[in-house]
Amino acid sequence: MDLASIVYLGVTFGMFVIFALIVIRTYSRKRKDEGEIAKYQMLDDD
Amino acid sequence: MWERKPVLLIVLATVAILIGTIITMVLPFAWVNTEADRIESVTPYTALQQEGRDIYIREGCNNCHTQTVRPLVPEVLRYGDYSKSGEFVYDRPFLWGSKRTGPDLARLGGKYPDAWHYKHMESPRSMVPKTNMPAYGWITKNQLDPQMIQRKMDVLGFPYTTDEIKALGDKNEMDAMVAYLQKLGSDIPWRAAATTEIVGELINPFTGVDHDTMEPWEDLYKENCAACHGDHMEGVIGPKLVGADYYDEILFQIIYTGIADGGMPSFSNLGTDKVWKLVNFIRYYGQGEGH
Amino acid sequence: MENQPYNQAIVRSFVNWSIVWGLVAVLVGVIVSLQMVEPDLNFPPYFTFGRLRPVHTNAGIYGWGVGMIFATFLYMVQRLCKVPLWSDKLAKFQLWFFNATIIASAVTLLLGYTTSKEYHEMEWPIDVMVVILWVVFSINIIMTILKRKDEQMYISLWYMLAAIIAVAILYIVNAAAVPVSLFKSYSAYAGTNDANVQWWFGHNAVAMVLTAPFLAMFYYFLPKSTGVPIYSHRMSIIAFWSLIFMYLWTGAHHLLWTPVPDWIQTLAMGFSIMLIAPSWGSVFNGYLSMNGQWHQMRENYLVKFLILGITFYGLQTLQGPMQAIRSFSAFIHYTDWVPAHIHMGTMGWVSMIAFASIYYLVPRIYGRELYSIPLANLHFWLILVGQLIWSISLWIAGVLQAGMWNAMNPDGSLTYTFMETMVEMYPYWWARSFGGMIYMTGLIVFIYNLWMTAKKGGSIAAQTTVETTTVEGRA
Ligand code: HEC
Ligand code: HEC
Ligand code: HEM
Ligand code: HEM
Repeated sequence: MDLASIVYLGVTFGMFVIFALIVIRTYSRKRKDEGEIAKYQMLDDD
Repeated sequence: MWERKPVLLIVLATVAILIGTIITMVLPFAWVNTEADRIESVTPYTALQQEGRDIYIREGCNNCHTQTVRPLVPEVLRYGDYSKSGEFVYDRPFLWGSKRTGPDLARLGGKYPDAWHYKHMESPRSMVPKTNMPAYGWITKNQLDPQMIQRKMDVLGFPYTTDEIKALGDKNEMDAMVAYLQKLGSDIPWRAAATTEIVGELINPFTGVDHDTMEPWEDLYKENCAACHGDHMEGVIGPKLVGADYYDEILFQIIYTGIADGGMPSFSNLGTDKVWKLVNFIRYYGQGEGH
Repeated sequence: MENQPYNQAIVRSFVNWSIVWGLVAVLVGVIVSLQMVEPDLNFPPYFTFGRLRPVHTNAGIYGWGVGMIFATFLYMVQRLCKVPLWSDKLAKFQLWFFNATIIASAVTLLLGYTTSKEYHEMEWPIDVMVVILWVVFSINIIMTILKRKDEQMYISLWYMLAAIIAVAILYIVNAAAVPVSLFKSYSAYAGTNDANVQWWFGHNAVAMVLTAPFLAMFYYFLPKSTGVPIYSHRMSIIAFWSLIFMYLWTGAHHLLWTPVPDWIQTLAMGFSIMLIAPSWGSVFNGYLSMNGQWHQMRENYLVKFLILGITFYGLQTLQGPMQAIRSFSAFIHYTDWVPAHIHMGTMGWVSMIAFASIYYLVPRIYGRELYSIPLANLHFWLILVGQLIWSISLWIAGVLQAGMWNAMNPDGSLTYTFMETMVEMYPYWWARSFGGMIYMTGLIVFIYNLWMTAKKGGSIAAQTTVETTTVEGRA
């Protein structure tokens, strides 16, 4: 494998990891209420 | 974290946006328009051609015409050799377009004689009855402004001579447009390379034709040839065909491959069947008084 | 609503002016569609197809689209942050400067001052105006968000912020040019580079003008209209990050098979296909929000516009990735198929959401109930039918044309000349004009309805009922 392929794979893998982290963080049980609160607040009478 | 901090959200969103941008938009500058792309025979536009190009842009011809031939078989057959990156290094802006309401113009240069363009631009429907291209005869009335053009050439850094600029004073916008159209795609010698070799023997598939067989073929002549050779083969931009006494095979060759330097376009895109019909048509009516 | 400090007047003005530009866009659209079938309708020098078409596209995207973005963002930001606008003066300036910019664009385009770059045709002095306009707008939105009351930002605000930043970057980079005179400049990039930069801009103008802001509207006006929250806020967040990340890679799908390096084309193709996921994330979020609420499709005309709008978006984001595949692109690129795709997005998705937003805003900005709901329903059906005729006839036309361009005889020569393929388009182009006229009739019905509302709609005694409906919890 040449350098270009290693960089290519590394970047691709890195992006997937970042994506996975965002998903895990967003969907963690701990943050369930926090993550959904905005959708109720926006319905407040204005 | 970011859902409560708008500034952080802005920063992260910017980063997300910049990754794709850097890789697909900034990095390519290292590959494109470099020495590897360069084609020796491609030259900058002359003052007259560049002005024609600017008029092309002003009139929005790019809304109907593209200027890039893709490396696909039917497309190369229809328009000519596919486009190379190095052919566009002097194009600011690029004019590839996104819609082919009219045909691609990337390989137009040298396809028609100047006279054809003057007539076609003046009144497209007189040459191609069913076209929807607007008439541009009115640009003939606009004289060129040599000073302004000189300024443009300076900004672009293209070479020019003072004589060349002076000569622009007698020209109008149509002259500039035609000069530009004739330059399009002709920097690489693709026409010579593309001359279609016809393999095998040429045999006229139609024998014993008479007036009745010929009747429906008249439209073929009207649509493709009459604009240059006249409704009755009497000759207009092209020579008269009455009395053009060639063997079938020669006639076929002329029509199929055209006469590149003489302004007779190639009609290989008609397909062999239709070209043979035209051969017979011309042989039949060209013998006598025309028709 | 006088007791509220929110600035409604500016929203009303933006709505009114957007509708004016929307009508101009559609009218000019019908005119250019007729010029394509009858070239005698070209009136040189100013009113030829080549000059009018950019007036149509820019009036549509910038006059109608961006005008509605201004209107709704200025509205949503106050409501979602529960604070009044940061600066009313700036907003007022923005309104008049916006109209000045649109008028200047239309006039200069007709005069032939153009860069030829699609959706970026205006010459450099107008680029300067656009930048000022956008900066003023951005400052007002961002400052209002900074002083908000609700800590957690709703997803609409995310899309708004991303769109604001992205448009700024895209527009400025693609505008780079060397001026020769006040109305002529040469691109800072040449040939293949210029093409790549232009379509990086062009496709992301679709993403950051015609997609992200309208998703912000959808996410706001759907729950507001139904009274039920969106299905999942967290899903919308995942879709958000994926969408804004992936879009920027896809510009070269407009340049498949051109001299642009192959690897850029391949990336564009791959990312375009991946884009289905975040796009449909929003579509599903919309549909699932309707769980148990589908009866509102019958009872609440607002919901009809919104759900049809998101359905058109769903269709767009399947069609688009398909067009981004090399083999399919080889077939339909440059044909009339592409305008069918575009107009399903602009007349369907973008305009449907804009119409719904306006209907929702009417009682709030005019202080009156809508004059006539039956007319709103008529409007709905006219634009739906008009748009379907438009797109379906051109899909057929595009496939037919592509088939003829590619047809070859057994001996390897082409079957049809260019003109033989082009004359086949005329019936479909007529059908398109016809569909466009139906659509325009719908628009006129809409304008009449608003006009009558402003003049004599029933005044609002109580707040509209939808808003006080109890909120069902669903997490
Ligand atoms: C409404 C769309 C439209 C516009 C605008 C338009 N054209 Fe055309 N053009 C066509 C069509 C259709 C054809 C094919 C039929 C014909 O030759 O007229 C064509 C053909 C041509 C041809 C002949 C190409 C060939 O290979 O036979 C040239 C040259 C040309 N156009 C130049 C121009 C220029 C220059 C402009 C701008 C001043 C322009 N066109 C604007 C539609 C258009
Ligand atoms: C753009 C204008 C143009 C069109 C269209 C055109 N021709 Fe020509 N044709 C010419 C010109 C110019 C010549 C003279 C070339 C030369 O001799 O150098 C020519 C030469 C010829 C000749 C040779 C005549 C001779 O006496 O040497 C034949 C045969 C011919 N054309 C047939 C056709 C046919 C058939 C068609 C229609 C399919 C056609 N041409 C369409 C311009 C045109
Ligand atoms: C995942 C989403 C989408 C993808 C992958 C996509 C893909 C494409 C592709 C490949 C083209 C070029 C077609 C061609 O010329 O061959 C195109 C054109 C276009 N699309 Fe989309 N599309 C998407 C969604 C949308 C949406 C939602 C709109 C909203 C209006 C839209 C508006 C346009 C416009 C205006 C053009 C024309 C560009 C031009 O001038 O050539 N697209 N799209
Ligand atoms: C009645 C409604 C409409 C009609 C009849 C109409 C007609 C047209 C026509 C004839 C074209 C040129 C197509 C071509 O060159 O082949 C066009 C292009 C375009 N229109 Fe419309 N249009 C309408 C509504 C809209 C609206 C509301 C918008 C935007 C919000 C819009 C955006 C565009 C865009 C972006 C293009 C460029 C397409 C491309 O680059 O290929 N149109 N329209």
